[in-house]
Amino acid sequence: MNPNSKQKVLAIASPGGHWIQLYKICQPLESQFDVVYITPGAQYSTTNKNKRILNITDASADSKLKIIPLVFQLLTIFIKERPTAIISTGAAPGAIAILLAKILPIRTIWVDSIANVAQLSRSGRMVKNIADKVITQWEPLSDGHKITYQGSIL
Amino acid sequence: MIFVAVGTQFPFNRLIQYMDDWAISDNNKTQENVIAQISEGDYLPTNIEYERFMSGETYNQNVRQASVFVSHAGMGNIISAREQQTPIIVINRQIILGEHRNDHQADGLKWMGKLDGVYTASTQEELYQHLQHINDLKPAKNSHVGNQHLSDTIADFILHGDNKESLVKL
Repeated sequence: MNPNSKQKVLAIASPGGHWIQLYKICQPLESQFDVVYITPGAQYSTTNKNKRILNITDASADSKLKIIPLVFQLLTIFIKERPTAIISTGAAPGAIAILLAKILPIRTIWVDSIANVAQLSRSGRMVKNIADKVITQWEPLSDGHKITYQGSIL
Repeated sequence: MIFVAVGTQFPFNRLIQYMDDWAISDNNKTQENVIAQISEGDYLPTNIEYERFMSGETYNQNVRQASVFVSHAGMGNIISAREQQTPIIVINRQIILGEHRNDHQADGLKWMGKLDGVYTASTQEELYQHLQHINDLKPAKNSHVGNQHLSDTIADFILHGDNKESLVKL
């Protein structure tokens, strides 16, 4: 098997806490998968030849019109990269990516941000019935079935 | 030494002033030296050392050497504190004072306070109270950030989908 034939995983998160969590979760996956990071945070880039970070448009409940270019960017990335799976920690752009991937043969994984301790995040609630796997980082938020707890990054 | 840092996105004048005042007050019983990273704040402290921005290396060194890290309620700093094994006190920015675009740092205190090695304050009094008992503040028991089981569960799901789910138990 050639070394470039690792399965591709797209990892998507907004800047700040979402991004830090995504990175801490996906870094251990890099030996096993070809992980491509996607973020609306233009400040994140890399000089490491072995890492790829793609930038996308940001969109949120307050900027709904931006969803249109975002959807096109994500579809273009999905078609070009042909990922086996996508994983997101939030927020809105990650949830939109999961909703889109649902209609394609891509496994979708949502890890809710550790910042949501009383209920799933707003974007998490958007995707909880859509994503193939939904994980919370707080045990009380697990329903033991659809939403599972597998520990937290802290 | 006490290290104070407010992130790079916004100023946090109020926290810098609290620490500037604290440094020369009677509360600073052990004459702790204070070093601050103040971002673009326009309050320039007179009693403590400061820089607007620091290199990652200087920043990490300060977090490591500090007896306590005083910070805005940002996840990046909580992770640094844990990795460098320094107790951290976090104080939230307030939208009403123009310190942030939303109040998510106030909500943040609720979960941050549940973490090992993290102490929370929402007022000057609470901050000073923590600093009064500086030797009682303990770092997180573990410096690791990340969770092998969580990442393994995800890797397994990517490879095999749902059919192995029942085998994945914490």
